Amino acid sequence: MTDIAIKANGLGKKYQLGAMGSQHDSVRDLFTSAFRKKKSDSGPKEFWALRNASFEIKRGENVGIIGLNGAGKSTLLKVLSQIVTPTEGTADITGRLGALLEVGTGFHQELTGRENVFLYGAILGMSREEVDAKFDQIVAFAEIEKFIDTPVKRYSSGMYVRLAFAVAAHLDPDILLLDEVLAVGDFSFQKKCMDFARSLERRGSTILFVSHNMFSIKAMCPRVIYLKQGQVAFDGPTDEGLKLYEADNHLAEAPWFKRKAEAPLVFTDVTLRNERGEETGMFDFGERMVIRIKYKTLRPMERPNFGVGLNRSDDIHCCMYSTIEDGLDIPLIDGEGELELLTPPIKLIADLYTAMIYVRESGYGDIAAAQLGGTFHVRHPVYSSYAAFGVFHEPGRWKIKQDPDLQVLQQETRA
Amino acid sequence: MMTQTEVINDKAALDAAADGGMRSRTSNRVTRVRPSRGLFDLELDLVWYYRGLLITLVKRDIMVLYRQAALGAAWAVIQPIFAVIIFTIVFGMVAKLPTPGDVPYPVFAFAAIVPWNYFAEAVRRGSTGLVNESELVKKVYFPRLIIPLAGAIAPLVDFVIGFGVLLVMMMAYGVMPTWHLLAVPPLVLIAGLLALSVSMWLGPINVRYRDVKHTLTFLLQIWMYASPVVYSFQMIPDEWKWAYALNPMVGVIEGFRWAVFGEGNPDVIAMGVGGALMLILLFGGLLFFKRMERSFADLI
Repeated sequence: MTDIAIKANGLGKKYQLGAMGSQHDSVRDLFTSAFRKKKSDSGPKEFWALRNASFEIKRGENVGIIGLNGAGKSTLLKVLSQIVTPTEGTADITGRLGALLEVGTGFHQELTGRENVFLYGAILGMSREEVDAKFDQIVAFAEIEKFIDTPVKRYSSGMYVRLAFAVAAHLDPDILLLDEVLAVGDFSFQKKCMDFARSLERRGSTILFVSHNMFSIKAMCPRVIYLKQGQVAFDGPTDEGLKLYEADNHLAEAPWFKRKAEAPLVFTDVTLRNERGEETGMFDFGERMVIRIKYKTLRPMERPNFGVGLNRSDDIHCCMYSTIEDGLDIPLIDGEGELELLTPPIKLIADLYTAMIYVRESGYGDIAAAQLGGTFHVRHPVYSSYAAFGVFHEPGRWKIKQDPDLQVLQQETRA
Repeated sequence: MMTQTEVINDKAALDAAADGGMRSRTSNRVTRVRPSRGLFDLELDLVWYYRGLLITLVKRDIMVLYRQAALGAAWAVIQPIFAVIIFTIVFGMVAKLPTPGDVPYPVFAFAAIVPWNYFAEAVRRGSTGLVNESELVKKVYFPRLIIPLAGAIAPLVDFVIGFGVLLVMMMAYGVMPTWHLLAVPPLVLIAGLLALSVSMWLGPINVRYRDVKHTLTFLLQIWMYASPVVYSFQMIPDEWKWAYALNPMVGVIEGFRWAVFGEGNPDVIAMGVGGALMLILLFGGLLFFKRMERSFADLI
């Protein structure tokens, strides 16, 4: 009997870049390669999504996995759950492993909620008896009793996700791999999910948790593994890991941006502040943000067009501000300088955002620099991205008209 | 946004929910994730371990098949009957193809259409299943062999319905079944295994080259005319019968006709040749499938 739940030893996963199928030029190649070991150094177009990942996770331990998009978090979970095969290295997994990489995969639209509970249970690896025994609890957990015999294609997206998560939550594995799945349903359901994860924790389940939400990570995991470009950059206490993660990503080059050799400008500092000028990573819905940017030019730049973009944690580009669009036309910059943006009241729904700063040459020319300016949270008790409230919220103006003899409840709201 | 204080409320109820089910059955089964596996490590024990999923997927396919169709399961009867009507007009009445003994052409044709349709449907589902279930393949682990297996099992329902229609039709034409009927289950098993073998080859290729899906329609059509469905085995010149019998479905269909109305003797050599070929196809397909399985999630 060992108390190690997962022991990964040099795990690596290599992908071939380029169109699928280009790997084999002909059907004949496919047949020959099927029975022959592929040469490992087969050209330049390959990329390691994960490399040399070694770690041990004890039974009952909760570990968060953090890293930028594309750092290998999902690949790691997929390798551990045997969905994809590692290119190198091994991992020993002791006990029953349940992986929730996407809630509701395998639900069939034409089937009723009841039928889907059994189907999804089987897909997740539960036996029929197990689902039978837990059926009532699952339905109660999903709060969906009335609609259990309705085809799921008539469900709202919230109901769908609740039912799926309820099944998954009752899987009761020794090891649970979670990929952002706690981020489903409305606020109260989300709370329920977190509580459930905690109750699993108390019963000794091991949980591996991938999230962009640093609050969830802090709340659930005393230990984090920080992946950077496919490698384990840090493995240890959460506070330390998060600090490192945030420091690393401060002023890092935007992942999509390729800097030219003769770039004319670098951003040397960015701070996010509230209206009182205090540095912070937390803003209330409706609060204004102050973004203070320092830069240094390497050669004079004419009509630089500075911009700040706010991206949500799921990579949705939400909004942007630019100096020229907002009426600040700078004729020339040379040397060091400081720029400050005061945003309008932030009406983005609650989530984690990244501020991205960039500058274009001569108005609308090429982008000369684009760097990550730090992450921040927006707080709102109701409007959050987990509950399909959209991207932003602005109160509207409502009116109601009724029969004259009916009591008027409320005539008009103020926007 | 979740804050820490809000998380802790209401946990007694949840504990009850969590503990009401089975207690954590801590297992000590060690799974090793590794890059390669022996060529002959077929992991058939895992298929057995996941049999619950197989059963569920088959059930799902059956439940979904005729849902939201006004005529429902009646389609399982209508489809083969229409095929028989067309074949009877074209091959029985216009081309006047002979049938062995005095079996009426509609019965003769239907006795082949029922097993053929089963086989064709099993191949179609088995070969395209991996791509149709791509969401599952990308997000959940299970032995992928489950998918062609489910493809071979689900159409059995249509087969049973069609077989019932066949029996009724025989009675109507005054053709009495005999004890030969006992040969039907093993023949269906052979047809199913054959469909599985074909799927294990075509399925992985379809993952990479979707051409398979488009090729399948006419591949099955050609295969049908290369099998004694609309005509009888006797029409093949004797010197070519050996080559003809390389098609394993020849033995299945001829055997099926023999089983339902006892006409003609099943060609033992033909069945032997076809059977041997099928075993090669089956075992090779299994190796090929297991070999390719590991890259499905990357390619699909």
